[in-house]
Amino acid sequence: MKEFKEISTRLKIAKNKIKKENNDGSNAASLGKALKISTELVASVAVGATIGFILDNWFDTTPLLTICFFFIGVAAGIMNVFKSAKRMQNK
Amino acid sequence: MSLNPMHQFEVYKIGPEINLGGINLSFTNASLFMIISSFLILSLLFFGTKKKSLVPSKIQLITEMSYTFVAKMINDTAGSSAKSFFPFIFTLFMFVLFCNMVGMLPYSFTVTSHIIVTFALAAIVFIGVTIIGFIKHGFKYLELFVPKGVPVVLLPLIVIIEIISYLSRPVSLSVRLFANMMAGHTMLKVFGGFVISLGLLGGWLPLSFSVALTGLEILVAFLQAYVFAILTCIYLNDALNLHH
Repeated sequence: MKEFKEISTRLKIAKNKIKKENNDGSNAASLGKALKISTELVASVAVGATIGFILDNWFDTTPLLTICFFFIGVAAGIMNVFKSAKRMQNK
Repeated sequence: MSLNPMHQFEVYKIGPEINLGGINLSFTNASLFMIISSFLILSLLFFGTKKKSLVPSKIQLITEMSYTFVAKMINDTAGSSAKSFFPFIFTLFMFVLFCNMVGMLPYSFTVTSHIIVTFALAAIVFIGVTIIGFIKHGFKYLELFVPKGVPVVLLPLIVIIEIISYLSRPVSLSVRLFANMMAGHTMLKVFGGFVISLGLLGGWLPLSFSVALTGLEILVAFLQAYVFAILTCIYLNDALNLHH
């Protein structure tokens, strides 16, 4: 019986250690998330502006569609960040 | 020449020039370092799984850890239905990780600091995930662009925004990896240049910076491989389980 108690306390200590290690790992993961979000915001703006530029060349409406799609790209970037933040919160 | 921080990213060909139908297929230093990292991965896995002892040796431990790390990541982010994509994600993670890590060695070449390499990897992921989504759901996959509960007046705008956000995936995936690796290596080289130009008197401060930056760069090298793999898992999850 005494041995059993000893084993259970040792198990508890080991489990706590594992929990602590997992928490340490999430620090690096949150840095990864920060890097992820910052590029997501920029990439959508670039993609939106590029699509606008290509469409402008097609329809000969030079500055108009680039400007429109630039702002749509900004909206898409903000939505991307919003989605990832939501995904993080659900976890 | 050696003080130019961008000199390290130069691609030059090794051996003869090979031209196949107007496409330059010469063997370059980039291809050499890709082969080196693939070879390192293969030898790690070969020697790690050779002697399957119950108490693992160091190399077996590393192999098992990388396996469980990726398996847990897939299970956590993409669910059990993505288990069949384990080989692909494991290969992707190990390749990016080893390319980054081999690039940290002095005199080596960082393959992932070139946008064409990272963009090719991201394009494979993007096209693959799109095909998987269409196979799994048919044309219902296009519902991804139509969120629920949006008023009809706003729908055209929202659909355009969703399509742009979908198209931005490969761009953000490739630019993130490429920019982090290139910026880090340029910074290392710039601080290394400061050590030489400041000489014996003032060179110690930038030297200590460069030691600290090396540590940071190793963290970034691991982190970028991790982020690349985890985003692939998230995109796979979107394709496999449409509404989450």
